[in-house]
Amino acid sequence: MSDEKRAERLQKPLTGDATYGERRLQFARAAERYAAAYLERRAWRVLAVNQRVARGEIDIIARRGGVLAFVEVKARRSRRCGAPEDAVTPRKRRQIARLAELWMGARPAVMRGITDVRFDIIAVDLSCRPPQLRHLPAAFDGGR
Amino acid sequence: MLARVSSEALHGLEGRAVEVEADVVAAAPAFTIVGLPDAAVQESRERVRAAIVNSSYEFPSRRITVNLAPADLRKEGPSFDLPIALAFLLATGQAKRGGDGLAAIGELGLDGGLRPVSGALAVAESVHRRGLRGLLLPRGNAAEAALVSGLEVYPVDSLRAAVAVVEAGGGERAQPVAAADLVAGNGCGDADMADILGQEQAKRALEVAAAGAHNVLMIGPPGSGKTMLARRLPTILPPLAVQEAIDVTRVYSVAGLLPPGVALVAGRPFRAPHHTISSAGLVGGGGTPRPGEVSLAHLGVLFLDEFPEFRLAALEGLRQPLEDGEVTISRALSSVTYPARIMLVAAMNPCPCGFLGDREQECRCPSHRVAQYVAKLSGPLIDRIDLRIDVPRVAARERRAPHEGEPSASVRERVAGARARQVRRLAGSGAYANAHMSARQVRRQCVLDRDAVSLLDRAYERLRLSARGCDRVVKVAQTIADLEGAATIAVAHVAESLSYRARGIERR
Repeated sequence: MSDEKRAERLQKPLTGDATYGERRLQFARAAERYAAAYLERRAWRVLAVNQRVARGEIDIIARRGGVLAFVEVKARRSRRCGAPEDAVTPRKRRQIARLAELWMGARPAVMRGITDVRFDIIAVDLSCRPPQLRHLPAAFDGGR
Repeated sequence: MLARVSSEALHGLEGRAVEVEADVVAAAPAFTIVGLPDAAVQESRERVRAAIVNSSYEFPSRRITVNLAPADLRKEGPSFDLPIALAFLLATGQAKRGGDGLAAIGELGLDGGLRPVSGALAVAESVHRRGLRGLLLPRGNAAEAALVSGLEVYPVDSLRAAVAVVEAGGGERAQPVAAADLVAGNGCGDADMADILGQEQAKRALEVAAAGAHNVLMIGPPGSGKTMLARRLPTILPPLAVQEAIDVTRVYSVAGLLPPGVALVAGRPFRAPHHTISSAGLVGGGGTPRPGEVSLAHLGVLFLDEFPEFRLAALEGLRQPLEDGEVTISRALSSVTYPARIMLVAAMNPCPCGFLGDREQECRCPSHRVAQYVAKLSGPLIDRIDLRIDVPRVAARERRAPHEGEPSASVRERVAGARARQVRRLAGSGAYANAHMSARQVRRQCVLDRDAVSLLDRAYERLRLSARGCDRVVKVAQTIADLEGAATIAVAHVAESLSYRARGIERR
């Protein structure tokens, strides 16, 4: 499926027999697949999508050369709740950093050859036409 | 990779060695500073990050841990920005060290420029004591640091310039400054004792006070010239010695009151805080202790106008510094000592309306208000003031007098002569003026002739002097004798000394 098709489908209103919660989850998963496809076209190797770690989840883990990126994907269909990238709150950032530590600690083999580790945000903004995808590399760090 | 840069933390008026270590590893990115940093040091992360990026260096996405050792010493202020940035650049391989033995201090701007910090003189002295070769610091601080002879001082304007010095192991050096060349004048502008019409008695009393470093209380109605007299006191004090000027400069530097580019406070300090000042402002203190007005007036004059209007807590806080010549501020984690060898000059009205005892104008105060006003000054505090003088309104006849008063310079010569005699007599004891003599020194060194002894005994009974009060009378008499060049204290010296004691508050 092409990127444009995926984006257009994301923009359609959420309908169907599923409950509200299920529909929201489907929307989020679609946005994550959209973001993963974007990364792969830019030579990133996506190691995991929706990776569960302990009691949390990391949206995308990707690698390009010596750089390992933990990517948080946020999609918004309108600006009613603000910009998508602003939805990654300090609490969420701390959580992602903590989960990333756990993930890396359990995979010494993957970590061999990694020189840089980053926390990225991919904002999928569907409030405009055509839809926009904004990739913010090293958007935050695990410091206080 | 690990890198280490030497720096300094301020503890009171002294620098303490701090090693700034930076460790950069490939792990979840984070920039943390450990080693008991305060809020300003924590904020250093944001300044360092911006300064590095804006100086066209890389800020890699790795875990950066900065440690300020020793970890049990509290680190304050922004002066660690530069050593943190340098350690970071060395640890990431973006800079190569060209030579050892250099320490660094400085606050970074977001553009990578360097701003002056406080306490550079104390830091430079400590760096030199540690046996390090040189110090990198913001250009505005270079002059004071250059007072330390034998230390290589490298003034830098930006992070890039600092890296250049580190990589070359040297660079443009600040000219060494000789303090002796800068100690001159009295730092009082063109104020002069000759400006004051009349008030010959008060001027004489100030001369005695200046000669022996005695504390003074001036009592007089509004507008009689108390403030004018006090402001001219530094003009008749002997000039600062070289070491004294450095001691004063160290206090000003730590308080952040030394203007950028100025090497030395060359004149005697004159501080006149407003009477609303807090206790911490007057004697020093605060969460992170800072020197107060008594320390800023070290080796100079602290002038407290409207003396009874000051807060009780602030005034009582003056007792220790007046006695010991220093202030110790204790906190749970540490205690610091600031010097406070001052001449206290206090001024007050004789009563709330100001005209009690005036020859022409009648006092309108009810007697209990006068009593209340005077009672604000505690006995122990008044007891520490050797000279109390009346400063009455100047009569019209004297105001019109055509002759000028004696200029400060000639008074200063007599004062310097009297001080020289005291220094010789007190050599080796740590004191340099009669006011600082201990009770034992008074007994051993002050020689009274027989008439003087009998006058003193009679005064002791009649005026109900305390033992300390009696010692103080002798100290002032000794100063008067020193001004005359007399070897022993004669009856006239004791009589004049007693006249300064009997005036003012206790008479009423």
